[in-house]
Amino acid sequence: MDRREFIKWCSLLAVGSMLGGCRKLPFVGDAAKKDLPSFKMFEAEVRRAMSMPSHRMELVRVSMPGRLNRPGASDENRFGMAIDLDACDGCGKCILACIQENNIPLVTEDEAAKGRFMHWIEMRGGVPFMCAHCGNAPCERACPTGAANHTPDGLSAMMYKHCTGSRYCGANCPEHARKFNFNDAVQQGLSLKFNDKVPVRSKGVMEKCSLCLHRLQDDRLAVKTAGGVWRGRGVNTACAEACPKKAIVFGNWLDPDSLLVKVARRRDLYAPVGLAGLDPSIVYMMGGK
Amino acid sequence: MVRILFIVFLCLLVPGLASMGYSLWQGPAAWSVDTDVFWGLPISLFVFWIGLAHAGTLISAIFLVLDVKMERRTSILAELATLCALVVAAIFPLMHLGVIENFYMVAPYMDSRGSMANVCSPLVWDFCCILAYGFLSVVYLIVHMLSEKSAVAASIHRPLAWLLFPMVLWVHTVVSLDFAATFVPAWRGAFFPIYFIVGAVFSGLAMVNIMLCGEGYRMRQLEKLMLVGSWFLGAFLLWDWALKGDLNVVVLIFAVLLPQFWFVSAVRESTLGRVLVASSVLVGMLLERVFLVFPTGGSGIGWVDLGLICFGFGLFGVIFLVARLKLSRLIEGEEVLMGEVEESAPKRPATVKFAYFPPLTTPEFRALRFPLLLGILSCVLFLVWVVGCLEENGIAFSDVNLIPLTCPIVTAVAGFVLCLRPLVFHIGKVGGIVMVALAVLLGVLAGMVYGGVMSVPSGSVVSSTGDMFDVNALPDSTSSLDSVAVIRTKAVFEARCAGCHGADGRLNEKFVREYYPVPQDLDLARMDALGEDSLVNVVLNGRTNMNPYAGRISPQMARGLVRYMRLLAESARADGVRAKAGEGGGE
Amino acid sequence: MTPLMSSLACVMALAQAFFLWRGKIRLLKEGLLLFGFFVISCVFTLLVGSPNDPQLEHYPLQMLALCLCFSTTSLPRYRRRYLVMAQALWFWVVLFGGISLAYRGIEFPWARALAILALCCSSTLLSRISKEMEFCLMVFWIAIWILF
Repeated sequence: MDRREFIKWCSLLAVGSMLGGCRKLPFVGDAAKKDLPSFKMFEAEVRRAMSMPSHRMELVRVSMPGRLNRPGASDENRFGMAIDLDACDGCGKCILACIQENNIPLVTEDEAAKGRFMHWIEMRGGVPFMCAHCGNAPCERACPTGAANHTPDGLSAMMYKHCTGSRYCGANCPEHARKFNFNDAVQQGLSLKFNDKVPVRSKGVMEKCSLCLHRLQDDRLAVKTAGGVWRGRGVNTACAEACPKKAIVFGNWLDPDSLLVKVARRRDLYAPVGLAGLDPSIVYMMGGK
Repeated sequence: MVRILFIVFLCLLVPGLASMGYSLWQGPAAWSVDTDVFWGLPISLFVFWIGLAHAGTLISAIFLVLDVKMERRTSILAELATLCALVVAAIFPLMHLGVIENFYMVAPYMDSRGSMANVCSPLVWDFCCILAYGFLSVVYLIVHMLSEKSAVAASIHRPLAWLLFPMVLWVHTVVSLDFAATFVPAWRGAFFPIYFIVGAVFSGLAMVNIMLCGEGYRMRQLEKLMLVGSWFLGAFLLWDWALKGDLNVVVLIFAVLLPQFWFVSAVRESTLGRVLVASSVLVGMLLERVFLVFPTGGSGIGWVDLGLICFGFGLFGVIFLVARLKLSRLIEGEEVLMGEVEESAPKRPATVKFAYFPPLTTPEFRALRFPLLLGILSCVLFLVWVVGCLEENGIAFSDVNLIPLTCPIVTAVAGFVLCLRPLVFHIGKVGGIVMVALAVLLGVLAGMVYGGVMSVPSGSVVSSTGDMFDVNALPDSTSSLDSVAVIRTKAVFEARCAGCHGADGRLNEKFVREYYPVPQDLDLARMDALGEDSLVNVVLNGRTNMNPYAGRISPQMARGLVRYMRLLAESARADGVRAKAGEGGGE
Repeated sequence: MTPLMSSLACVMALAQAFFLWRGKIRLLKEGLLLFGFFVISCVFTLLVGSPNDPQLEHYPLQMLALCLCFSTTSLPRYRRRYLVMAQALWFWVVLFGGISLAYRGIEFPWARALAILALCCSSTLLSRISKEMEFCLMVFWIAIWILF
C-alpha cells in the first residue's frame, strides 16, 4: 500500500464512520423554536412524577436543630422547616408551588422516562422530600469550586455561576436531593419564568431547594434598611404557603417566638436515616402532641 | 505492522471522535447516568487512564532509584506511554464537567472577587496533582532523553526520579480519595488509597507488557511483577467483598484468574499468549473502574459510552505511535528499530555496585536539598495563605484536608528549581525567547484566572478617573444629565459601579445571574429614605455585599456618585411614568 | 479492637517478617509470601473485629506495612533506604486511611501518624545500623502500634 492509497483509505474510513456515528444523533437543537410551555404541562409533569414508583424513606428520631456548629454561624437565625406527616396527605401542591416560585423547568420525555425531574420537592412514598440544608452538609465539603456554600443563617446555598457541574455534590448527597440541569431548558422551550426574582439556571449546573432564599433576602434587606434585628419573622416559603393542610411549617430554629419552634417543641422529630447524622434543618414531625 | 496498528487506532479514534463531539455538545446527558449514578463513564475512563499513566514513571523513575536496571529503550518507551496516557486521562474529567469553560475555578487560587476554590475538595487535590505530575513527567522524559548526550541533564536524572517517586503514588492516592472521601456506601473504604495504587501499577504494567510485545522483546521481571499485582488485586477484591458483601466476579475472572495462564509455558512463550494475558488484565481493570463508578448498575451502557471507550484507546494509540516514530532517533539511539528483531536476548541486568553513603550525603540528596527546601517553604506559605482565606470567608475546614495539597506543590516547585541550573547551561538564544514567551503566557493565564474569564462585566466603558474629576463641581439635584459635572461623575460611576449596579443605575443582568444576593435597586424612594449622608457612608465603608471604596475614591467623589445615582433614579422614574402613559394611550 | 488483639496482630506481623527476604530474593516468591500475609491479615481482622467497623477497613494494610518494617532489619544492604520506605508506606496507609475516614466523621489519628512520621524522618539519619539499633527500632514500632 503506498502513501496515497493509505491516506485515501483513512479519509474514506473517517467519513464513513463519522456518518455512521451521526446517523443516530437526536437533534435536540430542533426544539429551539418551540413555544413556551403552558401551565398545564407543569401540572401534568407533577402528576407524572408523583405516579412514578418510589419507596418510603426510612425515618429516624432526631433532636431539635440548634445553632450551627461552624465558624461564622449566626446566633440569631437558623432557618428550617418541619413537615407534619400526620397532616400531610401527599397531594403534591407544594411541588407545583415550588415550581412556580423558583422557575423550575420541565424535562424532556427521555429524562422523564428515566425519572430525572428537576423538581426541588419530590414525593418519596407520599412524603415530600427536599434538600434538608444539613448543618454539616457533605455536598458542600465536596464541592471543588465553593459554589455550594453555607450561609451564616443555615441555608445551603448555591452560587450558580461558580458551578462547573462536576456533580460531585450530587454523588455525595446521601439522599440525592440535588438536581442537575442536563438540558438547556430555555433553549428547548421547557422553561417558563414565573418569578422574576429567581434566575433561570443554565445548562450544566446543579440546583436544589434554596429554602426560598430570595424571600429571606428581600425581608432581610427591608429589615436592615429600617434598622433592626432580623429574625426572618415575616417570611414563609412557597411550599409552606401552598400547603392546604398547613403541614409544612417554616421558621427560625433559634427564635423561640417562631411558629416552627412552638409547633416542633411538642412533637417527635424525624429525619431520613442518611441525613440524621448531618444536622438537618428540615425535619419531619409525627405523633406526640 | 506499524501501519496496520495505526489504521486500527484511527478506526477506533474516528467514531470515538463522533461520540466525543456529541458528548461535548449535549453535555452529561449524552452518556449513561441516572438518578443514582451522577458521574458515569468519563470518570471510569479517567481513573483507568491515569492508572495506565503510572507505568512509565514506575518502571523508569522508581526502578532507577531502587537500582533495578532497565534497558533504556524500555524505560523511555514507558515514559512516553505515560505522557500519552496522561493526555488522554486529562481529557475525561474536563469533558465530564457540566460547564466546561468554568474548569479553571477548580484551581486553588483566589480570583478578583475574593472567591476561592474549596481546597478541601478531593477534586481540587486531583487538579493540582495532575498538573504537577504532568509537568514533572514532561521534564523527566526530556531529561532522560538528553541524559545520554549531556552530563548536566544526566546529573539531575536521579534526583528528579526521587522527586517523581512519591508524586506518582500520591496522584493515584488522591484519585482514590475522590471515591473514599464521600458518603456513597459502595465507595467506603479506608483501604482505597493502596488498592488504587496497586490497581494502577498493575494495569500500567499490563500496558507496558503489551507494548514490549509490539516492540518485539520481553522483560520477564515485568511480567512477574504483573502477576504479583494480580494476586494483590484479587486480595483487595476479596477484602472489598468481605466488607460490603458485593463481589465482582467478572473483574475477578479477567484481572485475577485469566492472567494466571501465564504459568502455562505455551502461553508465556508465545507473543500472542502474552498479549492476551496482558489484554485480559486491561479489560478486567477497565471493568473494575466501570463497576466502581456505577455501583447500582446504572441504566446500561449506550453507544456514546462505547464511543468514549474507543476514543480513549484510539487517541492513545495515535498519539503514542506518532510520538514513537517522530522520536525514534532519540529513543533508540544506536539500537534496533521497532519490530525488526523478533527475539531479542534479554540482557542480564548488570549487577549494581553497592556503595555505602553515610546519612544525608548521597549525591541525590545534595542535589535535592535546596530545591526541596524552597518547595517546602513555598508550600508552607501557600497553606498559611489558604488557611487565612478560608477563615476570612468563614468556610469550615479541617487541617487534615490540606495535607493532600502539599506533595504536588513541594514537588512541582522543587522540580522546577532543580531544572533551572541545567536550563541556564543549555539555553540558547531561541530557547531563552521561548522561555520568556512561556513565562508571559503563564502570567496571562494566571491573570485570566484571577480576573475570571467569564465574569467580566460587559457593556460598561471603563476609563481612568484620576484627574478627570473636578472636586469643586459636584452635580446636584438641579443639574441636567448633560452638564459637565454630571458627565465627569458618570465616568466614575461607569468605571466603578456599573459592573454591578448597571450603567443606568438599575441592575446589571449579568451580575444578578452570577451572585444571587442582588445589589440594591437604586430607586428614588429608597434613596430618599436613606438620605445622602448614609449613602455616602455605604459607598465608602461598604455594607453586606457592597465593597468599601474608601481609599479608592475620595469622600467628595462618593458624594458626587450618590447625587448622580439620584439623577439616574429620577430619570428612570420619569421614563417609567412616560412608559405607563404610553401604554395607557395605546389602549 | 481490644488491646490484646492488637498486640496479637503485632506479634503476627513480627512472625511474618521472619519469613521475608530469606535466601536468594526472587520476585515471585516474595510476592507470593506478601500476598499470603495480606490474606492472613484480612482473615485475622475479620475474625477479631466486625466488618462494619470503619477503623478496621485499612487494618490489614497496616499489619502488612508493619510486617515490612520489621522485615527490613534483615535485609543485607540498602537497609536505611528500605527502612525509611517501609515506614513511609505505613505512614501512607495511616494518613490517607485517616483522611478518608475523617470525611465520615471519624477523628484523624494525629498521634499515630505524627509518631510514624517522626520515626521515619529520624531514621533517615541513621548511619550503619547495628543489632542494638535494630532492636531499638523494633521496640519503637511496637510501641507506636500498641500505644497510639
